Amino acid sequence: MARNAAVIRTIDLLGVFWRSFFIQASWSYDRLQSLGFAFALIPILRRLYPDREEFTGRLAAHMEYFNTQPYLASFVLGAAARAEEDRASGRNAAADNMELKRTLMAPLGALGDSFFWGSLKPFAASAAVAVLLAGAWWAPLLFLVLYNIAHVGLRLSLVFVGYETGGDVVALMSRYNFTRLARRYKVLSLAIIGCIAGTLSAWGTEFRIPVAVSPSFLAATGLALTLGMIVLLRIGASPVKIMIGLAAACLMLAFGGFA
Amino acid sequence: MITQVLFAALIGGIIGLDRTALGQFMISEPVVAGPLTGWLLGDVTAGLVIGGTLELIWVLDMPIGTFVPADSTVAAVAATAIAALGSTTPGQLPVIGFCLLLTVAMVPVTMFADHLMRQRNAQIPDLAMTSSGRPTEARVTFWHIGGMVAFFLKAFLLCLALVPAGLVLVSIFLALPDAVHRAMSLFVTFLPLLGVASVARKLSMNTLDRTLLIGFLIGAVSVQLFHVPELAAIMLAAGGGWMGMRLHGA
Repeated sequence: MARNAAVIRTIDLLGVFWRSFFIQASWSYDRLQSLGFAFALIPILRRLYPDREEFTGRLAAHMEYFNTQPYLASFVLGAAARAEEDRASGRNAAADNMELKRTLMAPLGALGDSFFWGSLKPFAASAAVAVLLAGAWWAPLLFLVLYNIAHVGLRLSLVFVGYETGGDVVALMSRYNFTRLARRYKVLSLAIIGCIAGTLSAWGTEFRIPVAVSPSFLAATGLALTLGMIVLLRIGASPVKIMIGLAAACLMLAFGGFA
Repeated sequence: MITQVLFAALIGGIIGLDRTALGQFMISEPVVAGPLTGWLLGDVTAGLVIGGTLELIWVLDMPIGTFVPADSTVAAVAATAIAALGSTTPGQLPVIGFCLLLTVAMVPVTMFADHLMRQRNAQIPDLAMTSSGRPTEARVTFWHIGGMVAFFLKAFLLCLALVPAGLVLVSIFLALPDAVHRAMSLFVTFLPLLGVASVARKLSMNTLDRTLLIGFLIGAVSVQLFHVPELAAIMLAAGGGWMGMRLHGA
């Protein structure tokens, strides 16, 4: 079989990186990110398969079921680019790209969900809300900077790491210790939200309690309320139900003349 | 007013794209979406208060697998728009509190709309195929990018329905006795604690988590005993958490 000697260039991988921001543009229950994955890989397929028939065949192959954490999909995209290159150049004509994707998507999904959604986002949110409650208008900017330095930086890097390692998760984990980083972000988040409750008496004017009480009493009330709500959430109450309960309690306090 | 409602819906539609379909830079998170909407509609305070409050409550409602969490973006944008357009003066705290309460009713509506839209999206991959059953680059690109229209329309139409409905309710709320208004101001004060509880509940297995309590103590002591500015207290608490982590080898 005649083989294409074309190799992937940095510009092609940058094209994949750019397109990875659209990976969930047509997200659906049935096919999840399948179309997005094929769309993101187009610069690679275009480079490797000038033959229209072969290009279409590979594009169709990449439209099979795929779903993982959207940021870590960049790693799989890089790995798939390497496998396609191996296949097109004849280095490994039997490279099974689909098996590679199936193997990677579940563990990377769990890893990414835990790191990005479960630790980085709450950390950035806790820091931003703490700053906002202190009366700083730039809290939203802080959130975007804290989150996106890691998000965009990793997304870019992961395309190249995936390509260089051919989808070696061990190499990925040795470069980025996501589990350890996640643990650190979680500890920092807990310390910051604890501080939010502790500084209740010093919150910005919009959040200041409209009744004259001592700051110590207010802090103790804040802690008791927070712990009470944690217990309620643990026994299965939803945030929505607690919001309704809190509103009802505020109404009773106001009609009772306490506010 | 119709133009302002349309503008608010447009803001919701555009910001809503970031939630799933485009980029996920987290502009769609309430702490950003709220202030941005408030700024564009002339009431930054409402946006900051609503966005900051909703952020911690919903931040750990995660989109894992096929689970679609509550759409806190639409809730934040719609609540901010209602507060901005329904208040007699900017930053009217009772109205902001009432709008936060309205998000309780918005959450199930947004989840249902999200569910419907994602079901409809299932046909997109088939549309990317030609009659011979093969995809082309042009069709894949067109239909995939076209999928964003559904995400835009979902947020746009939700805001278009929720904002006018909310404005009617706000006009009724404004006619209620003063005690109800005071209650909603108090609600704004205590609601961030629900956010703290929601995050603590998801991040730690213990109700009396050690790091949470250390953060609380550092915050309370530094602000009350040493009159340290709150921003410095936050830094101290983060530093305390960091030191604890290093001591325990995490």
